[in-house]
Amino acid sequence: MTWTDEELVAKSIRGDADSFNELVLRWERPIYALAYRTIGREEDARDVCQETFLRAFRALPGFRGQAKFSSWLYRIALNLCRDWVRRERRTPVVQPPEDVDVMELAAAAEPSESIEDLVARHDLSRAVERAMTLLPEEQRTAIVLKEYHGLTFQEIADLVGCPLSTVKTRLYQGLAVLRRELAKNTKATL
Amino acid sequence: MTDMCSYGFSRDETLIAYLYDDIDPQARSAFDGHLATCALCRDELTSLQGVRQQLARWAPPSPSVVVNSQQSAADRRRATDSTPSESHVSTVDRERPTSNRWWREIPAWAQVAAALLFLGVSARIANLDVRYDQNGLAVRTGWSTPVPASAAGAATRAGTTGVTSNAASREELAALERQLRAELRGAQTAARTAVAADAPARSASGGSDADVLRRVRALLDETEKRQQRELALRIGEVLRDVNAQRQADLVRIDRTLGVVENNLGVEVLKQRQSLNYLMRVNQRP
Repeated sequence: MTWTDEELVAKSIRGDADSFNELVLRWERPIYALAYRTIGREEDARDVCQETFLRAFRALPGFRGQAKFSSWLYRIALNLCRDWVRRERRTPVVQPPEDVDVMELAAAAEPSESIEDLVARHDLSRAVERAMTLLPEEQRTAIVLKEYHGLTFQEIADLVGCPLSTVKTRLYQGLAVLRRELAKNTKATL
Repeated sequence: MTDMCSYGFSRDETLIAYLYDDIDPQARSAFDGHLATCALCRDELTSLQGVRQQLARWAPPSPSVVVNSQQSAADRRRATDSTPSESHVSTVDRERPTSNRWWREIPAWAQVAAALLFLGVSARIANLDVRYDQNGLAVRTGWSTPVPASAAGAATRAGTTGVTSNAASREELAALERQLRAELRGAQTAARTAVAADAPARSASGGSDADVLRRVRALLDETEKRQQRELALRIGEVLRDVNAQRQADLVRIDRTLGVVENNLGVEVLKQRQSLNYLMRVNQRP
């Protein structure tokens, strides 16, 4: 039987540790992905992810279900990411390795994918990563939440605490910057 | 671009809502109608869809351990069902195969076979010889065991190809061993000669082994006594420093208390004067 998040939360509050573990297993990867795409450092993203669940665990008795558990978790993670960016006083940094480990790439390849396609995919991923670092934090967060986590505009607005129209504007402006930067990258590779 | 489009001031927001299909049906049909007539919006929509496709290629690196809880269970679970968010997240968030997955995918029997093969080759290389007889279990390794000539001869007489080649290699090894033993003997002889040459000098300084041992022990005793003396000296110095510091601290505390008492006395005096003044003022008609 699959429990809903809210049911697992209720069981966790009653002291069932396995239920909280289930929540962690369910949400650790999306939260890690959110942290990584927001701050751009693998180690720090892992720390943020762990801290998110630690804080959630501590604050669980105070969770009254006004919002969805996932939204609550996203809010904690986003606040931690924001703290990280302010503490480090810099924009997110993405430093992918310069050299391409073909063997490692090959391990991640689809069965039908040629090595050329593989390297092209890797290059594109790096280009997107670089372009994302150029965005202001607000635009970056809006794009990450919409594009990779599928939140609605209203959910994003509630999470980051701004009007709905602002979320859409941030997305539009962010995508416009990305379009320009990715077009540069495409021209450079041709 | 916006100023050349007739849609209105909310055009960018509507375009984004349309792009992500997060738009109410009425606004959607209205924008559909606009798209049919506005090439600029059509082009921009197409290019933004292209950007979204490119964004879908950005995958975060697979973390070894995200949260320290039952990672293997997480792996198992993820393999069978998807999380609520992953159901609507693009494919990039799904777990990518890790670089060592190939090893985990080899069947257990193949891994056991590979391990046995490795052990067999290693035992052959190490010339491992395991025997169990009336003397008990004997394990011998290395190439130093002399091969009896009779065994080599018997192997040669056996006449099979495998045994012949084995005997030939043993003969070669026996020859190698003889050569090594000869070299070792030569080295030992040279060492003995050197020791013999050195013997008069050692006897002149009165140095038998027992004598040297006694002297080393005496030196060690002397060093130990010196270290004990130095330690006692250091401890005495530390105690003296601590006492001096304690005295200085006591003096400072006394002085501070005196200053505090003085200040307190002055304050009390002022308070008393103020009270006297107030009483005098109150007693006046």
